[in-house]
Amino acid sequence: MKVLSVKDLKMYYRTKMGYVKAVDGISFDLEEGESLGIVGESGCGKTSVSMTILRLLPDNAEFMGGHVFFNDGNGEVDLVTLPESEMRKYRWKGISMIFQAAMNSLNPVYKVGDQIVEALLNHYSNMSIDKAREKVAQLFRLVGLDPRRMDQYPHQYSGGMKQRAIIAMALACDPRIIIADEPTTALDVIVQDRILKEMKKIQKRLNMAMIYISHDIAVIAEVSDKIAVMYAGKFVEYADSVTIFKKPAHPYTYGLMHAFPSVAGEKTELTTIPGEPPDLLNPPKGCRFAPRCPRATKECLEKEPPYEEIEPGHFIACFNPLKPGEVVTFDEK
Amino acid sequence: MKNDEILRVENLKKLFPAERKLFRKVKLFVHAVDGVSYSIKKGESLALVGESGCGKTTTGKILVGLYEPSGGRVIMEGEDVTPYLFGHEKKAKDYVRKMYLEKFKNMSESEIKNLNGVDRKYAERFFDEYKKSEDRFINSFIEDRKDRIINLRREVQMIFQDPYESLNPRMTIFDIIAEPLNIHNVGSLKEREEMVAEMLSNVGLTPPETFMFRFPHELSGGQRQRVAIARALILKPKFVVADEPTSMLDVSIRTGIMKLMLKLAEELDMSYLYITHDLAVARYMANRIVVMYLGKIVEEGDIEEVLKHPLHPYTKALLAAVPVPDPEYKRGEPDIKGSVAKPINPPPRCRFYDRCPIATEFCKNNDHPPLKEVGPNHGVACYVVTGETK
Repeated sequence: MKVLSVKDLKMYYRTKMGYVKAVDGISFDLEEGESLGIVGESGCGKTSVSMTILRLLPDNAEFMGGHVFFNDGNGEVDLVTLPESEMRKYRWKGISMIFQAAMNSLNPVYKVGDQIVEALLNHYSNMSIDKAREKVAQLFRLVGLDPRRMDQYPHQYSGGMKQRAIIAMALACDPRIIIADEPTTALDVIVQDRILKEMKKIQKRLNMAMIYISHDIAVIAEVSDKIAVMYAGKFVEYADSVTIFKKPAHPYTYGLMHAFPSVAGEKTELTTIPGEPPDLLNPPKGCRFAPRCPRATKECLEKEPPYEEIEPGHFIACFNPLKPGEVVTFDEK
Repeated sequence: MKNDEILRVENLKKLFPAERKLFRKVKLFVHAVDGVSYSIKKGESLALVGESGCGKTTTGKILVGLYEPSGGRVIMEGEDVTPYLFGHEKKAKDYVRKMYLEKFKNMSESEIKNLNGVDRKYAERFFDEYKKSEDRFINSFIEDRKDRIINLRREVQMIFQDPYESLNPRMTIFDIIAEPLNIHNVGSLKEREEMVAEMLSNVGLTPPETFMFRFPHELSGGQRQRVAIARALILKPKFVVADEPTSMLDVSIRTGIMKLMLKLAEELDMSYLYITHDLAVARYMANRIVVMYLGKIVEEGDIEEVLKHPLHPYTKALLAAVPVPDPEYKRGEPDIKGSVAKPINPPPRCRFYDRCPIATEFCKNNDHPPLKEVGPNHGVACYVVTGETK
């Protein structure tokens, strides 16, 4: 069952210099129990995608079109058409989110447990406090925290524990979808490893769908069934994770994957993608990656490549996709 | 051989007070760096790896003189530079008195003959020239101290983690890169301009004229880090401390910076102390690795060897926890308990004891294990691994 279906989503930021096209025509489907990883560099709009889905946008953001169909089992709703009061019912209960730098999103003057209880009482008006505390204790156990720590303050927690508490909070209202925006970026590797495993386990157990946002392709490889590669406000490639890694078709995906050193296997030379991501105020006319792409032709510079399915479940926006096993040589300087 | 050693750190220590007392002596200390020794040979780069709070950055900052060491010594190219790392002359004098004078005074001729390295050199100096006057011996270190400090700073430079904070927003790129030249009085203004232009094209900011008179806010993160690298390298240092220079940068920019740093190291014939928490980056940037845990070295050696055959349980756990960019790769389970503690007045036993999966009674009752050679270019500090618990 599809829990989320995003169609041609567009959201621009209004600035003095014009519109920043942060989300520019994103489409994807998310199945129940599936995890989608969105990978891209900073400023490519990956966080903006999640904020647009949840409609948690700043004042200067302008919604430019598209649909977000959400299905909680009782039929599809287009979240973009809902009035704010209705939307509130879907946030947290339908789709919840683990924010970037979640470690700082706990309120330092309230006990951690109370903060989650508060979230619960807000969404279930007839729940008693005792019941809510019981539920929080359960959540604590689920994410591997000692329920006795409920009555402690955030400063008594370590970084990894705060992250767990934030995950517990995101799970509080049994959401169908969790959006995790770089939840482990500030953590040490050993803690990161534990959190990732915990999240994967919980996701499978509760059969939740998850959207995992990160710049680290290695982390994405660990947690996702499907991977979307985002560049300058658009998806450039989408497929299941093995396909993305074994036969990437977009030159950017290829470059991104070969830019990471690995501790496993033979030591390999790394690829550098020349240049820098485009300014989204005035993105290039044709393919947005064309100015950095060694395979770009005249067509790429003038026309925008369509986002098409080249084989079942494998989408790509490129006029000259790579054949499996083909090597791209970037012009490095 | 000793001669091609560019840097040698012996038993380096740094304690930070963990409490504040009025009129009373501070008793609690954070043992940030606690007896760390390593050496770097010419043309070799060393990666210092560990989790946050293990003391890797503190080690680096001591070497460039941003922190005073609490103990131990730093030797650069056969010269003890520790006296020049202290802010006050008195501390430097005390150091020389304690480190050399008191030791030499009680030594016989034959004992002196057995010394080697810097100790031997200074002992000879002491007996040949200065035996009659202790002050003169101490002064041989303290004389021209200011000049020597400046010389040392010229040869050891640092690249910081965050290029958004390490560049002065009110200075132009030219001023930023030329500042070391001004401080060290290198060349005339004309020559400085040429040197900065050359350095800019070396770090890939071409054409230099277009960058020279811009301000940091006009540059992207990657370009800023290139400016920071240019500033560190303009004096052609022998040794550069690089504190996670790529961790704040974007993926597609990061590799460019790493490659640039490797290229420049070769061209300018210098070594890096590359501080990072990322084992994959360490592998790419360095030939040797030192793994630190709570202020102590737990394993060191040739980086490929250590990554292929990690011996210390902490190195193993660290390695198993690194995600691999391959969805079909199955990595091991990191075997480690609990989380990192704060090293405030820690017990003398092995620092890793509380989290160690293979700890024994022996580990509990003995001091932190010394680093022991287990193969060519591979040392580990663990009683169980080296078989001393039996």
